[in-house]
Amino acid sequence: MNELKQICKDALSEKKARFIIGYKEDKNKRIKPFIAKTPEDAEQLTFNHHAVNNLAVYLPRFKNNVEGKIGIVVKSCDLKAVTALIQENQIKRDDLFIIGVNCSGVVLDIAKEFNKDNTQIKCKYCQAKTPPYYDALADESKDFEMPDDDQAELMAKIDKMTSDERLEFWNAEFEKCIKCYACRQVCPMCYCEKCIVEKSEPQWIDTSSTARGNFSWNIIRAFHMAGRCIGCHECERACPMGIPLTLLTRKMGMVASSEFGYRHGMSLTEPTLIGTYSTSDKEDFIK
Amino acid sequence: MEELIISIDNLKEIARELFNNDCRVIGTTAENKFKVIDDPEQLILNPNSVPTGSSFKEFFFPKTEPLFFYKQNNSSIDLIDPVIDKSRIVVIGAKPCDAAALPIISKVFNWDYKDDLFNTRNDNSLIIGMSCHYNDEFCFCNDVGGSPENRKGSDVFLKPLADNYFKAASVTPKGEAFIKEYQKYFEKDLGKNKPLVRKEENPNHFDYDKVKTWLDNNFENKFWDTAGEMCLGCAQCAFVCPTCHCFDIVDEQNGSCAGRRAKNWDACQFSLFTKHASGHNPRDNQEKRYRQRISHKFKYYNDKFDEILCTGCGRCSRGCPVSLDILQIVEEINSLSQKSNAI
Amino acid sequence: MEEKFEPKIAAFVCNWCTYTGADLAGTSRLKQEANARLIRVPCTGRIDPVFIIKAFENGADGVLISGCHPGDCHYNAGNFHARRRWILFKNLLDFIGIDSSRLYFSWVSASEGKKWVDIVDGVIDAVRAKGPFKQYKKMNKEIEIPVAAEEGVSVK
Repeated sequence: MNELKQICKDALSEKKARFIIGYKEDKNKRIKPFIAKTPEDAEQLTFNHHAVNNLAVYLPRFKNNVEGKIGIVVKSCDLKAVTALIQENQIKRDDLFIIGVNCSGVVLDIAKEFNKDNTQIKCKYCQAKTPPYYDALADESKDFEMPDDDQAELMAKIDKMTSDERLEFWNAEFEKCIKCYACRQVCPMCYCEKCIVEKSEPQWIDTSSTARGNFSWNIIRAFHMAGRCIGCHECERACPMGIPLTLLTRKMGMVASSEFGYRHGMSLTEPTLIGTYSTSDKEDFIK
Repeated sequence: MEELIISIDNLKEIARELFNNDCRVIGTTAENKFKVIDDPEQLILNPNSVPTGSSFKEFFFPKTEPLFFYKQNNSSIDLIDPVIDKSRIVVIGAKPCDAAALPIISKVFNWDYKDDLFNTRNDNSLIIGMSCHYNDEFCFCNDVGGSPENRKGSDVFLKPLADNYFKAASVTPKGEAFIKEYQKYFEKDLGKNKPLVRKEENPNHFDYDKVKTWLDNNFENKFWDTAGEMCLGCAQCAFVCPTCHCFDIVDEQNGSCAGRRAKNWDACQFSLFTKHASGHNPRDNQEKRYRQRISHKFKYYNDKFDEILCTGCGRCSRGCPVSLDILQIVEEINSLSQKSNAI
Repeated sequence: MEEKFEPKIAAFVCNWCTYTGADLAGTSRLKQEANARLIRVPCTGRIDPVFIIKAFENGADGVLISGCHPGDCHYNAGNFHARRRWILFKNLLDFIGIDSSRLYFSWVSASEGKKWVDIVDGVIDAVRAKGPFKQYKKMNKEIEIPVAAEEGVSVK
């Protein structure tokens, strides 16, 4: 942890970064996002199993406001969001000072201690504890035992259902939705200045939280994430109603990977899935 | 008046009777969520439980409800009123921080326009409150004029006793009539069941009057630049809040030539909330929107309705995706107000 | 006698190929069933999946989407982009439980009047056999005028 503080302090005092988006611990011992603007502020920066937030969500805010580099503390999963934002031209690599941290899993319930039963779903199939690239690396890694990937089991179960059963399952989940749009706001890839649900001429998606409005919102959100979701699972964490949103986004990620061999946020130069096409894309349903 | 007690089983019996009489019985279940109870056995009254994820305001002020329906009828348009559910609503086991919210938001729904939809439900409701034995770092009911024993908003108030008994007292004439109606389920208190006691008193965190004075004078303070800096502008705080009451009105189409006008929850944390048709947005950044949230809760509502628009339940802080803690913000204001006094 | 169910089909077709193909079917006096409502868009690349959702919301029992054959796009690549989107969207609908027999895709060129008639008739027959899209229409309940509501007031 001292290493992280030192790196950030140096980066700020040597003006390698204008400010650093990181984590701090508040007086209730909760880890929360924090922007360190001075080397003194960097004293407060920290990282541990409770640092769940994907801080890349703050980056698009500075899209048109770059004077000096933006420092950001990232886990390897969060770095995918940074990469994706660079791929989608939301921010430039040269405008960032990336401080990678070696991560050994983060908690699901922030009120409880980290252990095998209190681990984020994404950590259960995480493939890189160390971010693949960075400007500085703080070594905080500890080994941890990966719990079973129970979400994959649930997904297989849904795949086996009939379409009516699936629709019933999802309608029961979407019924809980209160349209607070926390899933959207917390998503680093949801950076549109005007969301489709806010377009009112015509009103494409009902803003009402009715069965119809909830269904349209969730299905279109999932589609807009298709091949773009980097799997940070922030939407599901933020959802106050506990809707398993990542089932949808992860499924779409699997489709992107199986149909097109594409994973978003893995390369700074590869064109995006939806932004390009191939004449050899395969399907069997167009007559 | 003689003191009465009631057992959990008899409370469930009352719930069953109410349910059979077409009442909407609202209570908490094993998942610790407010729900319409169709099976009284599900009902759980636990004074030690954390406040539910969402408040029960949705049963009085639903997340979406129709104001009217419309249908084209040749060259004219038919406007059709919605059917208002007039059935009685009985909430069993509301925490004081939940129950207190209803009289608070009732003021805004009866200010210049009398909101029939809210009033019908509120008038047909009966709130059975229960003292609370829970306290965590997010709770602060006693700083905003409440307390774990506060009866505001309750019609009948329960205090937990040993062996799953509750001491019952009526708070309002409505509550008195209710106890009379279900008299057979109540027993005389012979003092056999010892009252359960709270482990410790809730600490005090801030002085509301000082916070209010600071808010009166510091609209342009630089404190606001950082207070809401990390806020992402989702509205989970407003949607789980028992007192947030803002709504939006929209028209929705159903097929051709028909549809409805609906009233939906809205929140001041959305950038669209204050956006004018011209494109101008007076609250154009999240810092300003966060200032609005705090000021509305602790200043504006008090100026207008003489109530604090917060019951200190702590839901917004427990659920915030970036762990913004309303109590810590108000505590900071409190300490700022002390500093400004010193000068 | 029970009334025969007639499905409503929303067909989104591209201006350059399928719409012209459908026009050819008309001028060639080919007979086709009349349940499909054609919505002409400049290119299949213009078809946002939200159109499909909106069609189902507003009572379509089936949706048909058709455009130029791959390689024939008036704008060179619109249909390639569209195809990629459809592959993703179709998989999403499958996972959510929208019956795949409600949504059809085809390539119909300006000269394929006969193919258009076959496709449209085939889709209409298939959807007619499935019956009304009750599962989706159920979601409209809150927006429908309640049965218990009293007669409305007419305004001119």
